[in-house]
Parts: sequence; structure tokens; C-alpha cells
Amino acid sequence: MLACKDLTVAYGDIVALQSVTLEVGRGETVALIGANGAGKTTLLHAISGLNPVQSGDIMFEGTSVARLASDRRVALGIAQAPEGRRIIPGLTVEENLALATVSWRRWRQPISGDLARVFDLFPRLKERRRQLGWSLSGGEQQMLAIGRALMARPRLLLLDEPSLGLAPRLAEEVYERVRQIADSGLTILVVEQNTVLALSVADRAYVLETGRIVLHGTADDLKQNTRVREAYLGR
Amino acid sequence: MSMRFPLLLGIVILIAGLGLSMLLTDYHLRLLNLAVISAIAVIGLNFAFGYAGLISLGHAAFVGTGAYGVALLTTLLGWSPWLALPVAVAGTAIFAVLIGLPLLRLKGHYLALATLGLNVSFSMVAANWIELTGGTNGISRIPELQVAGHALADERSYLWFALAVLAVSAAVAGLIHASRHGRAMIAVRDDETAASMTGIDVTRVKIAAFVLSSIYAAVAGGLFACHMRFISPEDFSYAHSITYLAMLIVGGEGSIVGAILGALLLTFLPEWLRFLGSAYLAFFGVFVLAILVFLPSGLVGFRWPGSLRRDGRSKGPAMVAASKEVRP
Repeated sequence: MLACKDLTVAYGDIVALQSVTLEVGRGETVALIGANGAGKTTLLHAISGLNPVQSGDIMFEGTSVARLASDRRVALGIAQAPEGRRIIPGLTVEENLALATVSWRRWRQPISGDLARVFDLFPRLKERRRQLGWSLSGGEQQMLAIGRALMARPRLLLLDEPSLGLAPRLAEEVYERVRQIADSGLTILVVEQNTVLALSVADRAYVLETGRIVLHGTADDLKQNTRVREAYLGR
Repeated sequence: MSMRFPLLLGIVILIAGLGLSMLLTDYHLRLLNLAVISAIAVIGLNFAFGYAGLISLGHAAFVGTGAYGVALLTTLLGWSPWLALPVAVAGTAIFAVLIGLPLLRLKGHYLALATLGLNVSFSMVAANWIELTGGTNGISRIPELQVAGHALADERSYLWFALAVLAVSAAVAGLIHASRHGRAMIAVRDDETAASMTGIDVTRVKIAAFVLSSIYAAVAGGLFACHMRFISPEDFSYAHSITYLAMLIVGGEGSIVGAILGALLLTFLPEWLRFLGSAYLAFFGVFVLAILVFLPSGLVGFRWPGSLRRDGRSKGPAMVAASKEVRP
């Protein structure tokens, strides 16, 4: 479904990603793990269109999207719950959700079905539907960020550090929902520093170190891999 | 969503304005006319600055484009003002698209400076293209508006007309705010990256906000030309742009009611404080500073001290209330 081929991304003279090749199949949940500064978010932003690509290509369902603007990629079905949530503080929960429907919604088309699905997944959001974005807690904001991405009716969901800044219990709760979304058949690419959590939902995973993919395999294999265990799992 | 607030707002404007028009003297009616016209311009500026977060210091240039459009079409070509008004507004909108495409690539201070430059160039052109604009002598003898054979010649009848335009402008602005287009603008203001991630075409939203603001400005300019029946480049200098911005900030950015309150207050304040002479500007500076410090969300954020909660937390709810305007 998604294929990055020899992707190179640079910020000025600094090369952040070097010929990264990565594939995500339909219905798969793939994790991208690595330390701070390894280039995980850079890769995700290249896929969603926020970072320009120096060389290489990004194929989504057989067509190249590497040169498309980010709003075009959302319309094709790539939606992202960004790092740090990036909720619109001046809009209510419901308005934040409604915002993400611009990519598919025709004039006056109802969105209540989509809203209901998100509220089923995250009942807390329903309670707070009329509250402004800035008044939510960190966990609620993360749920809203994921919910907002789902409102775009994506075929590929990109999640950037959904556990960031959350208490362990909340992080687990968020990941439980991610698993639920994955079980519904949606294709997910999740970037995560918390390797234990990431490998708990993923089918496969890639390990990124200083801009290069150094390892990839099934989640179960990686859990046993000595290098991963020493560097990321702390065992 | 909520259709009630915009309609209610329009009706309140009409009733309050009609009431005032019966009570005030001619001189104050004239000021009220100017305030109503400014309010239309400031509601427009609110699209660009309040919703989409685009700092514009060139709003008066678009007011001027509308005013000069009406003045030229009526005096040079002899058009009826009723025909000249929509044509001038449409022309200003096209001008705003052309100028917005390159200008809106800039952000923050750079955009502020560029729009300021636009306003200065507008004044230069208006003052020096003497064959067309009459230079600093301006354009006089702009025909008055006529409604069903009656000329809107006196202040009171003009005010009624201007109030009707303000009521419609405010109601339409309220509807846009509550629509997905309004939401998209606010999203672009709060977080451009997040907005583009959710599938919003950021450039298009910015241009739309900029053009909407110029349309409101041109309507205000056309009304100004027909009201004063004489315009000169000074009426649209960059100082007026800064006044519009001050009106919006004092009233409450992001709020239509705030835009109207700010326009009213800053039109009448200089007259009330006339006795201060040139010390007025110093007072004005301190006044705006006080608003920024004590009422960060503008006049619309004001709450009577009695409504303070017992723990003294009033700012949060006040901010919510201000940004909740237009929502059910």
C-alpha cells in the first residue's frame, strides 16, 4: 500500500534520512522505532507531505505522491495524528473533528456517522465535545488527535509518538485503542520511542538509527533480537 | 450549526442603531455613520487577522480601492452609485487576489511590513496619479445614494442605510464564522501545520480570508465615498490601517461584536477627549496598553467583577466566552 524507495531528506546541508526503503502492506500495522533524533518524525513528515523529498520516491497505492501537497495526500487517504497532538486550541472538540472532513466532504453532507464512530472509540471525547481544544488533558488531546485523523476517512493512518508525555497507564489506554483500530482492518504506520508499546501492536517493525534503516523484521523477531533488546528494550 | 446568533446580532444592531438615530444630534449622527462604516471595515479585518491570523497593516488600501472605485465610476463615467458599488467591490476583490498570491507567502512581521508597504504605495499612487485621482485635491461631487427616489442626503437617513448594511455584513460574517470555512481559518491561525495535516489547503484558506476582508473593506470604502461625497488620499493612509487594527484589538480580535464595539469606541473616544488637545495620543496609547494588559481578549472579554468566581479565576471562563461567540 505504501512504499518508500531510497528516500533521502535533508534539512539544508544536514541529511536527516539516507536512502530509506520501507513498505507497509494493506491491513498491516508497522512500527518505526528508534532513538531521539533518528529521523522517525522526518520520515513520517516526508510521507504526509510536510517535508520535501530530495531524492527517492513515495508510492501510495501504486501512484507517486512524493511531489503532492499535504492536503492532496490527505484526500488520497493518508492521515496523520501528529507528534505533540497539535489540537487547534481555539476550536471545540467537535469542531476539531469536523475540520478533518474537508478532504472528502461535499456540501452539507452529514458527518454524524463519522463522529459517532470516533465517539464510540473515545467516549471521553463525547463528554467534552463542546469544550475548547486547549482545555483538554494530554491524554484527551492524544485521543482527539487520533480521532481527528480518523475523521479524514484514511486508508493509511500515521501515528507520531502517541505515547509522548502521557502517564504509563494513559499511554497503554491509547495503545489499546490503536490496537482496536488496527483490528478493524485499517493500515497503520506508528512511530514510537516506547519500543515495548510499539512492538505490542505492530505486525512488523523497522529500526531507524541516524537516518538509516538498520534492522527490520516481524515484531516477534525484533523482540528477541539482542541488538534491539540491549538498545531499546533495556534487557 | 447555529443560525440564530448571526440573525440575532443583525436584529440587535438594527434596533440599537434605530434607537440611537432618534436620540442623537446631527453631529453625533455623523460620527455614528463613520463608526458604522469603520465597523464594516473592521469586521472584514477580523477575517484576515482575527480568524486566519494574517497581520494586515494595509487594510485602508482596500477601503481606498473601494472608495476610489465608486468615486471614479460615478464621477468619470456617470454611473449610478448602485451600479458602481458592486463593481468597485468586485474590482477590489480581484485586486486582493492578485496582491494576495505573492504577499501571503510571507508570514508574521514580514507580512505586516509588506501590507504596510502596499498601503504606502496606494497613497502614493492616489496622490500622484493626478489625471485620474485628482491627486491630493481628491475627488469631489460624488453623487448621493438614492433609495426609491429619495436621496440619502441627511445623516439620519444615511445612517439607516449604513445600519442595514452593517447588520447584513455582521450576520454574514457570523454565518461564515460558524461554517467550515470559518473553522478552517481558525485552524490555519492556530496551527498551520496541523491544518495542512488535516487536509486543509492552507494557501487557499489564507487567500479566501484576505479576499473576504478586502470585500468588506471595499463595501466600507464605497459607503464612505457616498457618505462624505468627497475623498482624498489622506482618508486611506496607513494610519487608518493601524486605527482599524487598534479597533479590532481593543474590541476583541476574533469577535464580530468586538469589531463593532471597537469601531464605535475608537470613533467616539477622540471626540469625547477633544479637550485633551494633542495630549490625546498619549492618552490613547496608555488606553490601548491598559486594554491589552487588563482585557487581553478585548472589550468583549469584559466581565463585571461580581461574576468573578470565588477562587478569583475569571480569565479562563472569560476567554472561553469570547472565543465561543457564534457557537450554541
